[in-house]
Amino acid sequence: MNAPAKPLPSSGQLRRKRQALDFLVDAILLVFGLMMILPLILLVANAFKTPAEMLSWPPSIIPANPTLDNITAVLSDTPLMLWIFNSFAFAVLSAMAISITSAIAGYLLAKFPSRIMNVLFAIILATAIVPFEVYMIPLYFQAQSLGLLNSLGGLLLGYLVMSFGIFLVRQNVIHSIPDELLEAARIDGAGEIWIFVRIVLPLLRGALGALFVLAFFQAWTAFAWPLIVATTQPSYTIEVGLALFQTGFTVDLGRLSAASAIVLVPSVLLFVLLRRNFVEGVASSGLKE
Amino acid sequence: MASLEIQNVHKAFGPTKIIRDVSLSVPDGAFVVLVGPSGCGKSTLLRMIAGLEDISGGTISIGDRVINEVEPKHRDIAMVFQNYALYPHMTVAENMGFSLRLARRPRAEVTERITNAARILGLTDYLERYPKQLSGGQRQRVAMGRAIVRDPQVFLFDEPLSNLDAKLRVQMRAELMELHDRLKTTMVYVTHDQIEAMTMADIIVVMRDGVVEQIGDPLALYDRPDNVFVASFIGSPAMNLLQGSIKEQSFRTADGASFPVNAATATAAAGKSVIYGIRPEHFTLGEPGEGIEATIRLFEPTGSETYIAAMVGGQQLGVLLRQRLRASVGDTIWLRIDPAQVHIFDAATDQRIAPR
Repeated sequence: MNAPAKPLPSSGQLRRKRQALDFLVDAILLVFGLMMILPLILLVANAFKTPAEMLSWPPSIIPANPTLDNITAVLSDTPLMLWIFNSFAFAVLSAMAISITSAIAGYLLAKFPSRIMNVLFAIILATAIVPFEVYMIPLYFQAQSLGLLNSLGGLLLGYLVMSFGIFLVRQNVIHSIPDELLEAARIDGAGEIWIFVRIVLPLLRGALGALFVLAFFQAWTAFAWPLIVATTQPSYTIEVGLALFQTGFTVDLGRLSAASAIVLVPSVLLFVLLRRNFVEGVASSGLKE
Repeated sequence: MASLEIQNVHKAFGPTKIIRDVSLSVPDGAFVVLVGPSGCGKSTLLRMIAGLEDISGGTISIGDRVINEVEPKHRDIAMVFQNYALYPHMTVAENMGFSLRLARRPRAEVTERITNAARILGLTDYLERYPKQLSGGQRQRVAMGRAIVRDPQVFLFDEPLSNLDAKLRVQMRAELMELHDRLKTTMVYVTHDQIEAMTMADIIVVMRDGVVEQIGDPLALYDRPDNVFVASFIGSPAMNLLQGSIKEQSFRTADGASFPVNAATATAAAGKSVIYGIRPEHFTLGEPGEGIEATIRLFEPTGSETYIAAMVGGQQLGVLLRQRLRASVGDTIWLRIDPAQVHIFDAATDQRIAPR
């Protein structure tokens, strides 16, 4: 009732100050956001430009004479859709395999500790510091002797297990699934496989969702391994196919842009679909609800 | 329902012995509380009964059946954990019906048992909620409900009230006792809280370092502790324990203070170096010159009773008087001790010295 008059205007000032600060933060984020998305927009725009306009300076964001030539050329000259399908099959199968192997291995490492398990875990972690390029060639010869060259099986060979995925699941299990939960289930009459499928997996949904997206994009963007293991045009993945547009001397910018723009569609779609899982999974591995 | 028999049970992790030669007989329908400080092996013993820990030696039987090698799910027990261990992705009803569905019981029976348990525990309105939408007390009730629907031969409780606040703990304590009265099932309950043990148990088992120190009904343990550990562990505020010896039919501390002892015990302990035990509530106020002279060091009136820390010679004694007292720190009071309320323990063995 006899509150001092001073705090009132000062609280208004405070609010204005906060609004100004919010605006500033928004503006900075907007600028950075634009800077990050600009190459993507230019890429999509280039797909619809004529060769002359593509090289003109300054670059235009909206093509002056939009043309579908690049896209029709790409689709008719190269098996682009087949490459996308190859990539998609490769990425989905790899992500599924990695999710399954990581879930099983991570759970076992987290909940059945023993000296052997600790050694295994150390070995798994150690593999993470060996670059893929180091064992790429031996793996190639293995794929060759297994008769898996130029096939989906050959592509998958190096992409079935991910040490980071095992680590992620192990940490998640330790963090969010107490031993008592499993013991309660054992007393309730559940078998070990039942416990894994009906208790552990549902509780790991967030982490596995994040891992799936991560693994999907790892395979989707893989280049070196598909390049050496897939040597015939029909077995290419889209990454390898895109590289075809650049030869030693020229870059076919128009077709490359068109092909890249088409390739963007599935990956953007997948991210939109799994965005919630992805954010949740990454957030839950650092924070507890 | 069934009795529980534990015979010469051992448990060792490598060279470390966790449980040493524990034997315990729990009659059908009894409420047994295992109590002791943390690390005494009480939870391990409970987990051995549940089948969550291997038994290194000895036998455990439920009814007539030795269950050493029986899997947890076939032991016909139910366990309630300290952190509730509810399945977070299942509703209350699903949590409670989990074991029945695993056992492929008919849907109608599952629903009926869940409804019954929910009614007993006052959870009827919460059956469709998820554990995270419930309070701590409600979660603990769901955990109990999960145990009740199984209608097991033995209930096992591992510090079920430790995660609740003090007020709720008292309320849940009463509900648990009511539940035991109603179900009349054998229950084994682990706690480190001696008040919980005293108020709930038919039989208390006091444990320390993997050994059973004493088994008995709560008041027997309070009235006749077998050794110094039980004497100090049971009762709150804790029993006063003084070092000294028996000389001329009374107890003398090193600094010369003298305390009364009943004649028969004094004879049995004559000349020995002993530990003298007297509970704070067993002092009464004497007239000046009568009893033991003490100086008030700490004075805590709580309304219904008065707690005093008093100095006798160099020794500090806790004194609990069921009366109001006008006094302040530094005052002299006179304390009377009924020799019948005194406990004498052998200082060498810590064991009670009883008159022959």
